[in-house]
Amino acid sequence: MKRSLLAGLLTLLMPALVLAGEYDLTVDRVKIDTGDFVKEGIGYNGASPGPVMRFKEGENVRINVTNNLDEMTSIHWHGLILPFDQDGVPGISFPGIKPGETFTYEFPIQQAGTYWFHSHSGFQEPDGAYGAIVIEPKGREPFRYDEEYVVQLTDKHPHSGDRIMRNLKMMPDYYNREQQTVGEFFSDASKNGLMNTIQDRMAWGDMRMMKADVEDLQGFTGLINGKGPEQNWTGIFEPGERIRLRFINSSAMTYFDVRIPGLEMTVVQADGNNVQPVNVDEFRIGVAETYDVIVRPKDEQAYTIFAESMGRSGYARATLAPEEGMEAAVPQMREPARLTMADMSGMSGMDHGDMAGMDHGNMDMSGSEGVSDMDQSNMEGMDDSGMAGMDHGSMAMGQDGSGDPFYAKGSGLMPMAASSCPTPT
Amino acid sequence: MNTSKLVMAAAALSISGTVLAGGTHGDGNSAVSGEPGKASDAARTITVEMYDNYYDPESIEVKPGETVRFVVENKGNLVHEFNIGTPAMHEGHQKEMMMMVEHGVIQGGKLNHDMMEMDMGDGQSMKHDDPNSVLLEPGQSEEVIWTFTDKSNIEFACNVPGHYQAGMYGEVNFN
Repeated sequence: MKRSLLAGLLTLLMPALVLAGEYDLTVDRVKIDTGDFVKEGIGYNGASPGPVMRFKEGENVRINVTNNLDEMTSIHWHGLILPFDQDGVPGISFPGIKPGETFTYEFPIQQAGTYWFHSHSGFQEPDGAYGAIVIEPKGREPFRYDEEYVVQLTDKHPHSGDRIMRNLKMMPDYYNREQQTVGEFFSDASKNGLMNTIQDRMAWGDMRMMKADVEDLQGFTGLINGKGPEQNWTGIFEPGERIRLRFINSSAMTYFDVRIPGLEMTVVQADGNNVQPVNVDEFRIGVAETYDVIVRPKDEQAYTIFAESMGRSGYARATLAPEEGMEAAVPQMREPARLTMADMSGMSGMDHGDMAGMDHGNMDMSGSEGVSDMDQSNMEGMDDSGMAGMDHGSMAMGQDGSGDPFYAKGSGLMPMAASSCPTPT
Repeated sequence: MNTSKLVMAAAALSISGTVLAGGTHGDGNSAVSGEPGKASDAARTITVEMYDNYYDPESIEVKPGETVRFVVENKGNLVHEFNIGTPAMHEGHQKEMMMMVEHGVIQGGKLNHDMMEMDMGDGQSMKHDDPNSVLLEPGQSEEVIWTFTDKSNIEFACNVPGHYQAGMYGEVNFN
């Protein structure tokens, strides 16, 4: 009897126990200064990037978004599990937020970790409309740290998103500053043999692909938390402390290779999910991914956070230091990579029988994703004749897992020198 | 190479109960973490639960000279270690643990016991049978009886690669 009374009381109290947080965001025109150039852009609460939104797992949030632009806007909560009508995709989950209007998002927070938010309207996101989301778990974090920082990366380009899209639609390699040259043909010929090199060039030509097509967009300045390499965002630490760095790649197109020379990083979370801790010297972060790492600088010195783009056309740089103003050496970028046939074969389970009649001209490579993101669905109906010279033998198709165990099954990675490839059929 | 040899030597010495003087350089701390204790001397039992990837409790209080019986339970889904030592000892041991992962001894949530017996040459194996530590699969429970001799900078830690770095350690506070 007593127990049921108590239970009843608890149920009555329950709604009051659920945390409810109210947050306000304004969408504004802002100035973005990268150190290399100043641009008008779009931001939240008067700045780009916007604020770090801190939520608590189990909380119900209400977020009032006021559109101060003269165009429609929207906010997508990237990675959050929520009702579809709160997902912020105009035309799908809701009509969008009109100029001058305030839209109230309301959803429960059902997860923890590092996420981010961004506009889902036009090119507002590459123009600066993004921010970080940090969600504290209900229970304890399954790791320990004394200090934490969001490290939010982006690829800020002097051209507006609209202009970049227009240029890329006209010419996919419009921004490519790393084209293959005649000189490279001769050096390849002397290294791999003339016939091999000619065959290689013809194979790529037949596919209407470029080995140099690693990045669609070059000429950007990498930003960390809105600061360019010269402006040098700095996170402060006490030697011996463990620091959790919440890396978020909010770029439009750029994959970054991230390292902190002198410090080992332990990856503890990926895309907001706790993972078995892995010690790494470097990691690659794709567009929209998040990685949480823990570092422990023991010495009273500065460390450079160095994030060079996958195509080595630009970099972001920041610093961890015991005090403001300290700096460490900034490494040179490494040589730009070339694509190999292995990069073209990341289509596990692809059935060659389905590849008849592929028109490469129809492949939408000009969108916001690079070749490495190539979707299998884009390859449907691929013309086998267009694949002549492509080495099927070296393709990691996943039928036999007996390949080089160094490469994960289905990773699509299995590089092989062109010269050692069997003659194509 | 040198450090791991040194650490191994240190471990061997601590087994025989020999008192070591300052094995680490410059930090002024004694490198001694104590010595194996006798069950009959243990006046106190501390239960330490291991999760993915942290301990509960995360700090313990001991008196110099006290012998403690630790009951260590692995309540996580991964292999975890409970190892009493100085930070420098842990750092050295992490290299050995990395080797155990590379040789397939530690496989996420499993231990390959056959591999642990394997002769590594020079009379070495990957048995992981030092008295200051236990290495447990999920669901396993074992005891460590340890005498904390002198005040020093001691942590209990899991040296499975990545775990210590992620914060799977606890403080031993002397009072």
